[in-house]
Amino acid sequence: MFAKKHKSFNFIDRSVYVFSLIISLLIIAPIFGVILGNISVDNEYFKFFSQTELVRYTKNSLFILISVLFITFFLGTFSAYLVSFYEFPFVNFFKYSLLLSFAIPPYIFGYTLSGFFENYGTFYSILNYFLDEKIINSILPNLGPFLGSIISLSLTLFGYVFILTRSSFLNQSKNLIEVGKNLGFTTFDIFFKIILPSARPAIFIGLSLVGMETLADFGTVSFFGLSTFTTGIYNSWFIFDDLKTANVLSFLLLFFILTLFVLESFFRKNMKFHNSTSSLKRKNEKINLKGTKRILAFLFCFTIFFISFLFPLFQMLFWSFTFPNSFDFLEIISINFNSMKLIFFASTVIIFLSFFVNFGTRVLKSNVLSFFSNLSIAGYAIPGIVISVAIITFFSLIDNLLHLSIKSYFIGSLAGLIFGYVIRFYSISFNTIKTVYLKINKTIDDSALLLGFDKLKILKKIHFPLLKSHFVFAFILISIEIIKELPITLILRPFNFETFSTKAFNMASNDLIEAAAVPSLFIILWSSLLIILSIKFFLIDKK
Amino acid sequence: MKNFFDVKNVTFSSSSDHKLIDVTFNIKNPGDIISILGPSGVGKTTILRTIAGLEKIYKGEIWLNNSLISSKDFFIEPEKRGIALSFQDNSLFPHLNVYQNLIIGEKRKSKIKRKIKLEECIELFQLESLLKKFPHEISAGEAQRASLVRSLLSNPSLLLLDEPFSNVDIGLKEKLQVNLKNLLKENKISTIIVTHNYEEAFYFGGKCCLFSKNKLIQFDNPYNIYHFPASQDVANFFNKGAFLNAKVISDNELEHNILGVIKGKFVRKFKKGDIVKLLVQPEDLIHSDKSNLKFKIIDKRFLGTNFIYFLKVSAKEILPVLVHSHHIHQHTINEYFGVKTPIIIKHLVCF
Amino acid sequence: MFKVFLFLFIFVNSATANEINLFTSRHYESDARLFKKFTDQTGIKINIISGKSKILEKRIFEEGNNSKADILFLADAGALYSAQNKNLFSKIKSEFIKKKVPISLRNDFWVGITKRSRILYYNPNFLSKKEIEDISYEDLSDKKWLNSIAVRQSNNIYNQSLVASMLEHNGVNNTKKWLEGLVNNFARSPQGNDRAQILMVASGEAKLAIANSYYYALMLSGKKGIEQKKAAEKVIPIFPNQLNRGAHINISGAGIIKFSKNKKKAEKFLEFLLTNDSQSEFCSNSFEYPVIDDKGVDKPEYNLSSNFKEDTSIDVSIYGKRQAEAFKLMKKAGWN
Repeated sequence: MFAKKHKSFNFIDRSVYVFSLIISLLIIAPIFGVILGNISVDNEYFKFFSQTELVRYTKNSLFILISVLFITFFLGTFSAYLVSFYEFPFVNFFKYSLLLSFAIPPYIFGYTLSGFFENYGTFYSILNYFLDEKIINSILPNLGPFLGSIISLSLTLFGYVFILTRSSFLNQSKNLIEVGKNLGFTTFDIFFKIILPSARPAIFIGLSLVGMETLADFGTVSFFGLSTFTTGIYNSWFIFDDLKTANVLSFLLLFFILTLFVLESFFRKNMKFHNSTSSLKRKNEKINLKGTKRILAFLFCFTIFFISFLFPLFQMLFWSFTFPNSFDFLEIISINFNSMKLIFFASTVIIFLSFFVNFGTRVLKSNVLSFFSNLSIAGYAIPGIVISVAIITFFSLIDNLLHLSIKSYFIGSLAGLIFGYVIRFYSISFNTIKTVYLKINKTIDDSALLLGFDKLKILKKIHFPLLKSHFVFAFILISIEIIKELPITLILRPFNFETFSTKAFNMASNDLIEAAAVPSLFIILWSSLLIILSIKFFLIDKK
Repeated sequence: MKNFFDVKNVTFSSSSDHKLIDVTFNIKNPGDIISILGPSGVGKTTILRTIAGLEKIYKGEIWLNNSLISSKDFFIEPEKRGIALSFQDNSLFPHLNVYQNLIIGEKRKSKIKRKIKLEECIELFQLESLLKKFPHEISAGEAQRASLVRSLLSNPSLLLLDEPFSNVDIGLKEKLQVNLKNLLKENKISTIIVTHNYEEAFYFGGKCCLFSKNKLIQFDNPYNIYHFPASQDVANFFNKGAFLNAKVISDNELEHNILGVIKGKFVRKFKKGDIVKLLVQPEDLIHSDKSNLKFKIIDKRFLGTNFIYFLKVSAKEILPVLVHSHHIHQHTINEYFGVKTPIIIKHLVCF
Repeated sequence: MFKVFLFLFIFVNSATANEINLFTSRHYESDARLFKKFTDQTGIKINIISGKSKILEKRIFEEGNNSKADILFLADAGALYSAQNKNLFSKIKSEFIKKKVPISLRNDFWVGITKRSRILYYNPNFLSKKEIEDISYEDLSDKKWLNSIAVRQSNNIYNQSLVASMLEHNGVNNTKKWLEGLVNNFARSPQGNDRAQILMVASGEAKLAIANSYYYALMLSGKKGIEQKKAAEKVIPIFPNQLNRGAHINISGAGIIKFSKNKKKAEKFLEFLLTNDSQSEFCSNSFEYPVIDDKGVDKPEYNLSSNFKEDTSIDVSIYGKRQAEAFKLMKKAGWN
């Protein structure tokens, strides 16, 4: 017999394996290593917190979560239903324009909302032309912390539910409304008994994304002064100087959000079955709405579009013109350049890494690798502020352990900032690529092997060309997030390095929200552009 | 002398439940074609994938051209085996058009000097009109043809074909089968072809492996498999004959309680007085309108040149009888049908 | 292509020699403009990184010897105390600084740069001057203010500092009682920023607001628009405890980082911030009060500094020492 051991891995395989594993571990290490490595519940603040605050913070977080889920569910599914099955004025416009809500970061929506409705705010100025001051002050709605946070989060996040539900409707083989009518259902019954259940997996995926964003949100709730789990993390550190409790809370949050992740991937798997049965796509004949219904459908979509996109846009435009400030032209150019630099480097790195690890997981069929690569997407679920601190601590730990001095290259540098983005946004690219990979038949790889291609040649000649266009999509998705990102940029950026979000934050933190209008407008502009690009390339209804 | 290709006591298993235990077969000379036959789900594809190196083995050895390619401790990467596999489902690269797909494997260096011409293949497998189309624009049958040609052009030392014509229209299929066999023979390409259709298996295969229930149940030439099935399972696979319970009464006679004495040569030896199961195939019995031995027709099937009549012999025994379709007159269901006596069956296949 | 990336990275990370690195939790654009003047005068470039105080502190702490930070400039005395506790500062030696800034606004490790007061506001349409003239922080727990006080949430550091000073002056038990009374008098569940509290008073929804002095000046300056200016004009600020210890004050302050390689330049920069010109800039841009003798300092008329008695009886670093204790008591009293 042969003395040689089973040569399961050749040189290329082994290199792919090692690199994929290193990438995954590097992405996991700061989060899990730092957070889990520094946990203790025997602290002063934790005792105080668990006795008095924990219950309230949890309740607040859950209340916000449930309300936001409920509203995004309603807005997302109903608008998707209207634009998918009915014909009414501007329906083709709404189909895509509702996605522009992604261009508004929740915190900027919060600035808008509060600036508009506060005492002597924009709304007051408008009403002042018609009404007496006393009357206005008595009718101005009082947006408490709850209402403000819920509205801001719901109207900027419902797009997830909308886009996923809509693509699920598009994939259906038959016109569900016709089927329902044949069975003698009323329109109401058709919606609740046929249409909603048919899109259930998509709706759940959308809602779990909304849930993760809501739980990880810090900017909006802290702006409105609401105490939630994330602000609890913040308080334990800022007021009690107690990072350990902050880590405990981060871990609890992470655990909760990971559960959502698991649910999401579970539903994603189900959705695959769901779609694979409908190989015969047929273009749905849309139902032409008549009379009042036509107007109501239009009004519904228009109202959402108006509030979610035009309202913040107009408010920012209004402020830019009424409070012309010292924003100089050169600075705007330099910030644009900064943003492009970040987008370009970070997206390239993120896409390359996630492509490589996806490739490794696919061709090596290693359980260890797929476990770690799945864990490495957890960064999306963690508040940016926690990630940044984890990164700082991580590099200092590495230096101490290995007697290096690499931290100065990663803390307060472009490299460190990009590393932060990689951890936070890795999942976007990873999941986009994974979804496409799942659709590529495994026999494609096998055929290539049998035609004599080695693994790297498969990567270069087969997988790369197949995935190319999806890289562009991932690039756009990551870019939208980077443009909007605040906490990581704020903490890890190099000296004198501003982005539109840090600029807007600086202004807003000095209570000069009006002056934050110009940078906010640029965030909206950039994101809208990227969204329109993505619509143009990927989301137009295929015939 | 050693065989060109050898599978020795291999247990095949894929990630799913398919498992084939202790399988041994071979290709004697380079250029020979063997076929693998078996019901769907038995694991035929797993065998090909394992030979190609896409699955590993934990028992037995596989040898090609005097070198070991797979065993429990040894494994040659699929890309280095020089074995081509044409998959049953569409495995064309979606980003390349059909022409680019065909030539992508052409460059492979092969020890075997052989010239299969691209133009010739395109003509033989009728791909002219497809060359500029992309995989998603062509039918499953067309994709199979293209993928077959791609495998051929890669100059393999061993070609594996997994149901190569399963999606091709019947009319075209027979023509392509002839073209393929001629091409393989002309160029002396050693081939293993997997199919669940025994006619295809018999057409291509100098030898056939027949699998059933986790086992290789017979490895032999097609004639022997059909006429001298090694077990009841083999006979059952073709599902044409029927089994009758009969008693051995001499070294060339059986007795059945209704049909009476049946004469013939025993393929296997039995003792006098043994109760056996006799395989009766449709062409074994001869129809005679004059015969006194008549049975009720309970079903009838038209096969083009022939009819098969199904006769009810007893409550549990139904016999098929083949009759040429130009036979003077046809019989209808519920009529009585005569069987020529005495019954003589050339080979008595009993179990 | 890759070489181009590499070049860009190196280029971005490269540093010129004559510069100091400033970590600041103040986000004022006007600060940057002021620092530019220093560069013009001395040729020393100021590199800025801004962020929340704890994060800057954590970053310097973890960077240790490798830290690039030369100066840490923070917007609250409590935050300065925390950084001092982490042993991040080196001692300030400048005689100029010691001479200019009163001892209650500095210590060995850091120095106050600007000053603000946490004061009360009322609307004369709803409240007469007499009712409020001699008011003290202690009076706010009085039942007569039931449902009439507007203040932001307890997680706000200015509130924590105020309560910390109450703890220092009146002791734990009295402060506990005071907090219960105060919370009972809230006009609504705390929300919004300081300016929102002032607006509550302007619109008559609350009788008294607790807010920092510069928010009022900001509104009066017109930077928030004409409506807000008009609203602010309806409101009158009142400085509490004028008959005894004086109004609560807090500082923005800076210290020189222990690991700094540019300590001389850093000290020079701090001295620059304490000149009359610089102090005038702070007064008219971020509307804070000067920490130096204000005779030579130009101020807009709505700046309100030097018109009141301030509480100099306790060291501002007390706010840092008793911050967590204060927060716990506030939470226990139901201040959300």
